Amino acid sequence: MKRKSPTGAESQSRVVKGRSRGVSQWNIAWKRFKKNKAALGGLFIIGVVIFMAAFDSLIAPYPPNDISGFWKGETRVPPSWDHLFGTDYIGRDVFSQVVYGAKAALYVGFGAAAIAMSIAILLGLVSGYYGGHIDNLLMRITEIFLVMPFLLILLVFLRVITVVAPSGVGGLTMVVTMIGLFSWSSNARIIRGEVLRVKEYEYIEAARSLGASGRRILFRHLLPNVLHIIIVLTTLQIATAILVEAAVSFLGFGDPNSITWGQQLQFAQEAVKEAWWEGVFPGIFITLLVLGFSLLGNGLRDALDPRLRE
Amino acid sequence: MIKYIIRRLLYLIPLFFGILILVFAATRMAGDPVKLMTLLNPYITPEARQRLTEYYGLDKPLYYQFLVYVWKLFHGDLGNAYAIRGGLAVTTLISQYMWETFKLQLAGLFLSLAISIPIGVVSARKQYSKLDVSVTTTSLLGTCIPIFYMGIIAIIIFAYYLGWFPPAGAHSLFQERYPFGNYTLDELWHMALPTAVLTFALLAPVVLLVRSSMLEVLRQDYILAARASGLSERTVIYKHALRNALIPVVTYVGLYFGAMLAGAPITETVFNWPGVGRLFVEATRKLDFPVIMGITVLITLMTLVANLITDLTYAYIDPRIRLE
Repeated sequence: MKRKSPTGAESQSRVVKGRSRGVSQWNIAWKRFKKNKAALGGLFIIGVVIFMAAFDSLIAPYPPNDISGFWKGETRVPPSWDHLFGTDYIGRDVFSQVVYGAKAALYVGFGAAAIAMSIAILLGLVSGYYGGHIDNLLMRITEIFLVMPFLLILLVFLRVITVVAPSGVGGLTMVVTMIGLFSWSSNARIIRGEVLRVKEYEYIEAARSLGASGRRILFRHLLPNVLHIIIVLTTLQIATAILVEAAVSFLGFGDPNSITWGQQLQFAQEAVKEAWWEGVFPGIFITLLVLGFSLLGNGLRDALDPRLRE
Repeated sequence: MIKYIIRRLLYLIPLFFGILILVFAATRMAGDPVKLMTLLNPYITPEARQRLTEYYGLDKPLYYQFLVYVWKLFHGDLGNAYAIRGGLAVTTLISQYMWETFKLQLAGLFLSLAISIPIGVVSARKQYSKLDVSVTTTSLLGTCIPIFYMGIIAIIIFAYYLGWFPPAGAHSLFQERYPFGNYTLDELWHMALPTAVLTFALLAPVVLLVRSSMLEVLRQDYILAARASGLSERTVIYKHALRNALIPVVTYVGLYFGAMLAGAPITETVFNWPGVGRLFVEATRKLDFPVIMGITVLITLMTLVANLITDLTYAYIDPRIRLE
């Protein structure tokens, strides 16, 4: 079945090594993406952070949460060759902690975005395709989540869970789940809007008249055709989730047992006057990673859907 | 118009109750507040616990408690705090802190709009110029810096390194420290850093929005028509184009207003600002549920009202939109 494309450029084909091969939408998008320097820069930043997370124990000069400096009185030591980013309030090497924090940041970003986008995709597809009462109900629920003071409710839930949950439950996974559960609403709305547009096309009509079931139409016909929006939204959602987790940790409602950049900033805040290095470096990494995902998201949007280009 | 407002208000009621139920459920999920409150008190007797439970009406069924809460809410009573400030009435507590929050957020909002709209317009008119590229790059970077990080950097540079502004608080402790002995100047002096950070945080997304929306509008036929009929560039840009370009900005600011109030805990924690945001963080740490509920209810209400005002502003900016 022929896919309808936003550019109408899918019919062109080229001859590669003597045989003709169709150029898919994805090839075209990739070609466009490759030309975008900013987006490639974003990809590079993300690559560096993934590298940091993958080889953290090799890169970091000190083990995680190593407070041996504390006993030597090396708390809040300014940056030097021994401690590239200085040490923090209990003598941990800030550079090592930043390296170990990469894993948490990526986990938060991808985990929370996965949860939020699953809900958003399901609700957006169902609501947009079926319409009527289902749409009405689902959109009212979405509106509640859209209007409510997101951060306040997130803080309350996180705090309450740390009180009620038996020990062992909680930790970073709980933070990730909570961020995911509360940040799907605007994405669900955008996906629904896109589904409303796409479902009017003839090929959906055709699929329906051929007797395709609702589920088949949803996942085989509608989903692939709103995928470009979903990819872009996911990338931007990752950036948002990282920012939210940093804020939550900064306020002291994150997971105290994980090493996260936001948490480093929380403790750094107490002594910005004496030890600026304690907070400045983790903050740079938060900003860079968020910037990386934003650049990637914008680049993907331009590549996948040129109509949206500014 | 009046009819429209009434219909919108009716429409907001279920939304409001949905959020109310969500927060209520969240706070009650934690279990018995009296038990949590008295957990660390070794001298508490079971009788005293019982008395406290009855005093707060926590022995009644949950739905009844909720109805009582709503009933009192409509009478302007948000209950008493469990522990904060010796169990002060939540309405009193909020009224003491609200102004400080408003002062900061509104100053940030107006300043950023006043700065970002002209920048966005100029940037759009000179698309791809050096100025435009640097404006968009800075703005994109601005949307990626966490606001608390921006605050910490501002404190390090302007409060400690340069010593121009106080690093925290809303007022000087002693009158002798007021600049020129003037109370208002002291207030403004303390506001400078947090307002600057808030302004910059909101500046970045609005500049990008104004720019892209302006570019979109400048491509329209009616702009060509306006230019062709010999209007000055100034009239074309500021009278014909800007008015249309501002519609998405109004939406954004309307939606952002709620997010801004909900984001108050972050800014106010960084600058140790005595507003509802910091009060909320304190209440959440101490599990002081009436205060948590009160602040959430208030901020939700204000968000809903802001959304309503946004809709009304549409009709003002864009006469094509009729409110019915």
